Amino acid sequence: MYIDIWQFLGGLVHWLLVDIIGPILGWIGFHGLESWLGSPGVLNFVTILLVALIVFTVGMLVAITHIWQERKTLGRLMDRRGTQVGPIGLFQNFADGLKVLVKEAIIPDAADPLVYNAAPVIIIGVSLFMFVTIPYSQGFYVANPQMSVLLTLAIFSLVPFGVLIGGWASNNKYTLIGGLRAAAQIIAYEIPLLLSVIGVIILAGSLNFMDIVAYQQSHVWMVVPMILGFVVFIISMNAELERVPFDLPEAEAELVEGWMTEFGGMKFGLIMMSEYARGFVGASIATLLFLGGWDMPSFLQFIPDELWFLAKVFAVFGLFIWIRGAMPRVRTDQILAIGWKRLLPLAAINIFIAIIFKTLGWF
Amino acid sequence: MAEVQKTRKDKELGLTGFILKPMLLTLKQTIKSTIHRPQTVQYPWEKIVLPDVFRGRPGLIFDKCIGCGICMRICPTRCIDLVTVDDLKKEEGKPAEKVKRPRVNVGRCMMCGYCAEYCPTNAMIVTPEYELASWTREDIIYDPYKLQFPGVPGNEVHIIEVLPSEVKKEGVVPRPNTENKDLPILEEKKCISCSRCAKDCPTEAIVMKEFGVNEKGRPIKRPVIDKEKCVSCETCVEVCPKDALTMSEVL
Repeated sequence: MYIDIWQFLGGLVHWLLVDIIGPILGWIGFHGLESWLGSPGVLNFVTILLVALIVFTVGMLVAITHIWQERKTLGRLMDRRGTQVGPIGLFQNFADGLKVLVKEAIIPDAADPLVYNAAPVIIIGVSLFMFVTIPYSQGFYVANPQMSVLLTLAIFSLVPFGVLIGGWASNNKYTLIGGLRAAAQIIAYEIPLLLSVIGVIILAGSLNFMDIVAYQQSHVWMVVPMILGFVVFIISMNAELERVPFDLPEAEAELVEGWMTEFGGMKFGLIMMSEYARGFVGASIATLLFLGGWDMPSFLQFIPDELWFLAKVFAVFGLFIWIRGAMPRVRTDQILAIGWKRLLPLAAINIFIAIIFKTLGWF
Repeated sequence: MAEVQKTRKDKELGLTGFILKPMLLTLKQTIKSTIHRPQTVQYPWEKIVLPDVFRGRPGLIFDKCIGCGICMRICPTRCIDLVTVDDLKKEEGKPAEKVKRPRVNVGRCMMCGYCAEYCPTNAMIVTPEYELASWTREDIIYDPYKLQFPGVPGNEVHIIEVLPSEVKKEGVVPRPNTENKDLPILEEKKCISCSRCAKDCPTEAIVMKEFGVNEKGRPIKRPVIDKEKCVSCETCVEVCPKDALTMSEVL
């Protein structure tokens, strides 16, 4: 059971523009406008806008809920209650958002204003761009390109660019160092991340999220044969998202927020938001590639696919939070050592395992 | 015996110490604090259950107090003074008797409970009240009437005594220290027979006795102290006009 958002919204737009607004315009006498509104191009364009708006809203709401989930779960991990604003703390994010919105927009004197202002836009834009290729179910997506896995991971690796120029444009030596560290870390962990995904792609034989989920529905969840790849993927994703224990560029508990030191007000809010948006995308990639996407046991078919998908995403993000609550931070040299000396060989072994399984035809 | 040289490898935590152990620990903690509530107490709405021996602000049982002023003298922050107030018990048709009772500046009180500990009649007690904020400084000076508190047995504080030799014996109950106490002693040369000590003694432990007549034909009176009744309050020492009385400390 799934919602076909394109069909639904296309029908809605057709009904609205052709059956309701069109006759009214025709009655007034605007026949040219009526036929223009009824043309397939306009209908398609309005439908795309609506779909993008809905998927964007859902993605942002899920990202906000991730912040709430992190606050509450970390509270429980530390034997406290977490946020308490509103019913079970749900309004805290909106209060925070209002607070950063009404703050003054300050640009440091020494900063490069153009790049300084462009960096948060690049970061949040790139982060939200990734919502496009994430399918929530067979019908709930914005775009379904043939190589959506490749496209998503390619967009994922655009973020260090924004981080680096954000750290450089602030004209502060600490932000520059933080930006360089963040870029080095993200680039270093890109490789094990991609290599761990390759095993899944070999088994499924496709670079499309839909096909990979369909393969898992008919065979077995990828986490079973590719457990090594799953572990590598989760660790690398933690490093990609700059979360504890790999939050060295930020170190928000000890240092001054790393490369985002000089950003204040809504710019900081956007950067913070983009982190959790990327967290949501990372968790959903893990869900789609390894945990079967919207696959479910057959006796639970009455629950919609989208809810299943979101439940798995929240579980994966809960794993991220659990890791954050449990682990101490690693040193700079340890970060790179773990990335190059441990995860890269493991990912290579994972590829060999995938090739062996594919050759033997086990999965 | 040669010490075992710790190699660098021994000091490293490794997979178990770095990943598995903290993950398990936090999982246990999360389950615990999800099933039971977290440690946080949401103070204005929830309050911790206080133990019986909680030492909050001092309280006063008005009728037990004898106005001796030991609490005033023992108070480390000097927040207690004695004021003269109307007695609560009064007979019909007569004006109320004036008595001395302690007044406490709770703003300066440090809740040590010494006043309750040294009170000879256990009239001063410790109460479980700790929410003492007020809008003015005058409000937190508690006069004897405001200081009253219906005491329950746990609110009294005793100085209890156990000898070191008795600690490991069975059947020895800690007991209040009553046998050894400081007593005022008289320097006879300085005494002028004014008998103010006898008038001011809160327990009437001092009685003036006549010892003959002096040159002018007036009776020579000297205070005789009843050791059982005396509570070592030093009132007589303070009121003596010629410093004839001093406290002899028990060593």
